[in-house]
Amino acid sequence: MSDGSSASIAHSAPRGPSPSALLQAGKLLAAVLAIAVLPLLFTDNYWQSTLIVCAINVLLALGLDLVLGYAGQLNLGQSAFYGLGAYISTLLITRLGVPYWGAFLLGMFGAGLAGVALSVFGVRLRGHYLAIASLGFAVITYQILLNWIGLTQGPLGIYAIPPPPPLALPGLPVIAFAHPANMFYLIAGFTLLAYLLLDAMLRSPIGEALTAVREDEISAASLGINCAAWKVFAFGIGAAFAGAAGCFYASFVGTLVPDAFFITESFTILAMVIVGGMGTLIGPVWGAILLTILPELLRGIGDLRLVLYGLALTLVVMLMPGGLVQAAQAILRRLGPRRAARSSP
Amino acid sequence: MIVAQQLLNGVVMGSLYVLVALGLTLVYGVLVQINFAHADIVTVGAFAAYFYMHVLGGSYLVAILVALLVGGALGWLINVAIFEPLRAKRSELLPLIATIGVSVMMQNGMLAWFGPVPYAFETQYSNEVLKFGGMFITWQNLLIITVSTIAIGLLYLFMRFTFLGKALRAVAQDRDTAGLMGINQSQVIMLTFVIASAFAGMGGAMLGPILVLTPFAGASVIVKAFAIVIIGGFGNMEGTILAGILVGLIESFTTQYLDPGWTDLVVFGLLLATLAFRPTGLIAESTEENV
Repeated sequence: MSDGSSASIAHSAPRGPSPSALLQAGKLLAAVLAIAVLPLLFTDNYWQSTLIVCAINVLLALGLDLVLGYAGQLNLGQSAFYGLGAYISTLLITRLGVPYWGAFLLGMFGAGLAGVALSVFGVRLRGHYLAIASLGFAVITYQILLNWIGLTQGPLGIYAIPPPPPLALPGLPVIAFAHPANMFYLIAGFTLLAYLLLDAMLRSPIGEALTAVREDEISAASLGINCAAWKVFAFGIGAAFAGAAGCFYASFVGTLVPDAFFITESFTILAMVIVGGMGTLIGPVWGAILLTILPELLRGIGDLRLVLYGLALTLVVMLMPGGLVQAAQAILRRLGPRRAARSSP
Repeated sequence: MIVAQQLLNGVVMGSLYVLVALGLTLVYGVLVQINFAHADIVTVGAFAAYFYMHVLGGSYLVAILVALLVGGALGWLINVAIFEPLRAKRSELLPLIATIGVSVMMQNGMLAWFGPVPYAFETQYSNEVLKFGGMFITWQNLLIITVSTIAIGLLYLFMRFTFLGKALRAVAQDRDTAGLMGINQSQVIMLTFVIASAFAGMGGAMLGPILVLTPFAGASVIVKAFAIVIIGGFGNMEGTILAGILVGLIESFTTQYLDPGWTDLVVFGLLLATLAFRPTGLIAESTEENV
């Protein structure tokens, strides 16, 4: 767990702020460009939908990474927060006629609140105990979604959930989110904002406090850090991210069934964070993209595709325990000295 | 009379849960790791027994033995391939994720091989009903109770009275000190995996006729096994046995008096209550000894 923080430390090296700031700006520009160009490159419905799922999964993985990689809490309940966000916002829209963005905020807030509640309860549990407690929370949430038929219509599902209302900016054509490319811009844009927000937060003293709690709770407490409060804080934010992802998911797919939020979803999100590299922010982004695209690319080989997916997951953990990003950094570092020698004056 | 009948049904389910949960608890006690593919060993055990009976035409009792051997072999393999290489990393997360990958592989491998349609796993004992005092029990259920009781009893005796069993408990208590006493950790861990997985395979052979036998059969049991292990206290063998029976009873009474859809809610509500009030488990007496 401790190795993960090296990436963020390297980024925020105190000396020479201008080159690193330039690098940051370049990376941000690349991300914006990628988001802008991708739906133009992949124009068919199928791949545009895959892009949207990618963006949703990145949001889910970022939320879990904050809890797992930065606050060091093994949370297997992310599927529950995801489902809560989806169902709360959808029920507010379809039953009470709440406007979309109001329901979105309430869904996000509701999921975050559930995260805070679970965390307040789980704050004294550690490691596998917290893992199983959060897994239990996910099972209970799933069962309630499945069995409270009067509210959620259980396995029958909720249909015809409207997409977000069209956005009419002055001087621009109306942006309709029924079109997948626009939906992708909306979700990917939100996810990018969330990333930047997390990045800023983790560079601030908040990030240092969280890392201190993760590395050694007793030392952190002796420095006056309220460990329990920080864990609850991270849990709440991480769950709110999942809640936002759930709101987007419901309005993108248009139907909701409890099975979309079964506990296996938690494991998928966990795998994204680990494969990418937990405790870095960019790791879960790549992990989520890879593990979303990989099963689609393997679709051609039929029945065995998920077998290969499982094999790939196992091999990444066995061979690159720090995740893809750390492995890539190690390779770059090995190439690094030669490059530095060449470019030094 | 309904109460007595449900009591009996609960004990049948409970004893199967114990077989599955004991494996999780044993591995956790010795290694402080979770083998997520444990569920799929249960499924493989069920299929092994099914094919031994329906393709090779063997008897059910031998099929249980076959499932036990297949399960043990799988446990050996998973330990050699995953846990042994990752042990030096001393991470509680990596083996969990790696075995999630193994679980995805096994489930989908079986799906590709056996297909999604449930198999009708019937034994010669399934339809023979024994009646006593107004209660009904199939020979199958009687067999389940007998075989699990013998297996659990033998394991208990093994842990208490044999040298290897004592070595296993010593490693569970303190791995490094046990090593200093000349106990070969790697061998003990291997033994634990083989026993745990053999129990899972055997449990699968007996769950097969009860569950809907598909490649995902084990997954439906394992979540409850996790709950049992926590309620009983992670790594606590007696606790796991009692909690397993308790969950079986909760399940049969919830089905009778409330609604079958509520069983998981009640079981996991109990799990969260346990964690809130007695995080070391319902029956935990000593925290030093873990197996």
